[in-house]
Amino acid sequence: MKHGCAPLTTALVLGLACLATPGRADVVSDGSTLNSMVRYFVDSGHVTVRSLINDYALPLEGDAALTVHWNNEHVTIPAIQAPVGSPEAIDAITTASRPISGNAYQDYVKTRNEFEGSLTKGPAAVDGYYSIEEDFVGRQVGAHYNRDLMSAMNLAVVGSYGWDDIKPLPDDRTSTPPSERTTKHVSAVGTQILGPASLLRYGLELNVVDGLQHNPYRNVFAGGTHVPERHPDHRERRDAFVKFNQYLPNRSSMKLDYRLYNDDWGITSHEIETDLDQYITHSFSAHYEYRYYTQTRAYFYQSEYATVNGVDGYLSGDYRMNVLSSHLFGASFHMDMDALAASHTFFGRMAVWLNYERYFNSNNYSADILETGLDFHFQ
Amino acid sequence: MTHARRRTLASSLITALALAALLGLGSGCAANAPAYQREHLVDRIMSFDADARASARKMKTFEAREGSTGGVGGAGGGCACK
Repeated sequence: MKHGCAPLTTALVLGLACLATPGRADVVSDGSTLNSMVRYFVDSGHVTVRSLINDYALPLEGDAALTVHWNNEHVTIPAIQAPVGSPEAIDAITTASRPISGNAYQDYVKTRNEFEGSLTKGPAAVDGYYSIEEDFVGRQVGAHYNRDLMSAMNLAVVGSYGWDDIKPLPDDRTSTPPSERTTKHVSAVGTQILGPASLLRYGLELNVVDGLQHNPYRNVFAGGTHVPERHPDHRERRDAFVKFNQYLPNRSSMKLDYRLYNDDWGITSHEIETDLDQYITHSFSAHYEYRYYTQTRAYFYQSEYATVNGVDGYLSGDYRMNVLSSHLFGASFHMDMDALAASHTFFGRMAVWLNYERYFNSNNYSADILETGLDFHFQ
Repeated sequence: MTHARRRTLASSLITALALAALLGLGSGCAANAPAYQREHLVDRIMSFDADARASARKMKTFEAREGSTGGVGGAGGGCACK
């Protein structure tokens, strides 16, 4: 395995297995939970993603807990929607964000599986992540430690290292060789009680990414011809965020979030989000959200490039590198079945929820996201 | 505004936020709540962590459609291409 991380992964897996063994920490008979959900995503380009997500949390003795996460995704990128040989079809094929090999006039379908595990012991946690799809394998190991500094203050530090293998599929228009990418992450997060009904969280994050960071299937029109997209191999991404939660007198809460992001590609972004949660009955609650996002463009992004050398040798057809703003509206409903606990013990351990989000941005892109889930408490 | 000036401004803002956070750490939380007054703070609708899974899913969605990342207090993962 690359980067010498195989021993680290093996140690993590063995560590998780040992700590989860009854000889080390006996499993507590109650308190475990299973959360299952279905997520359906469809955007204005008719890309669809169906996700089946399962999370299992198992409390262990000695202030420890084990969590396992599995996500199975089915992604469909539609066929080129233009007559064969037409200028529109040629343009769509040459700038496609999917592999084009042979027939571009049929859907491209791929499956992605994602696994995560974490072991928490007191204030410390270790976690591992593995994601696999046809042209991509992602891995990550991380550690987390938090400490109460005062009676109303907690500070957490997080570090992780990720390493990905990118193996582009055969493509008629590009020939990107197999590549790698690494991500180093550190963050510090403070959580503070401001009063009997107010919480504040703030943090700083730094991500350093090295390796392939452009779409290996996309071409850019430059100097009168189409050439493969090319982004810098190094990117330093940092952000700071503040989250404020306020409990309101009528059994509701209001949340205000702000995030400032900046990277060395020249992108600076601002994000604000507000959420309102309201109990309608003892066990039925509603959640409403709005998010606004705006960003500047990367220094090498241009709508047209005069030469194939682009800007400092870089070319991008990725609209995420351009000036952009977006809005998101969402609403969700959550119902605990505990009212049924006296007569139907089984149903009394359940909660069900439904979530809908509408996203749209200044690039004439929009998406609808529908999620529904079931939470089950085993005891 | 030039690219260099924008970067300087953003770096200054992040530094200012960091300093503000550190000042918050040292303030001693004069307005904090005794344990018996924290009933509302542990309610599900006040929890930062109850939102964590949803925040992580949203971050992956946004990473594939916007140029920035972060804000959930943890690292992301996976391929940002569709």
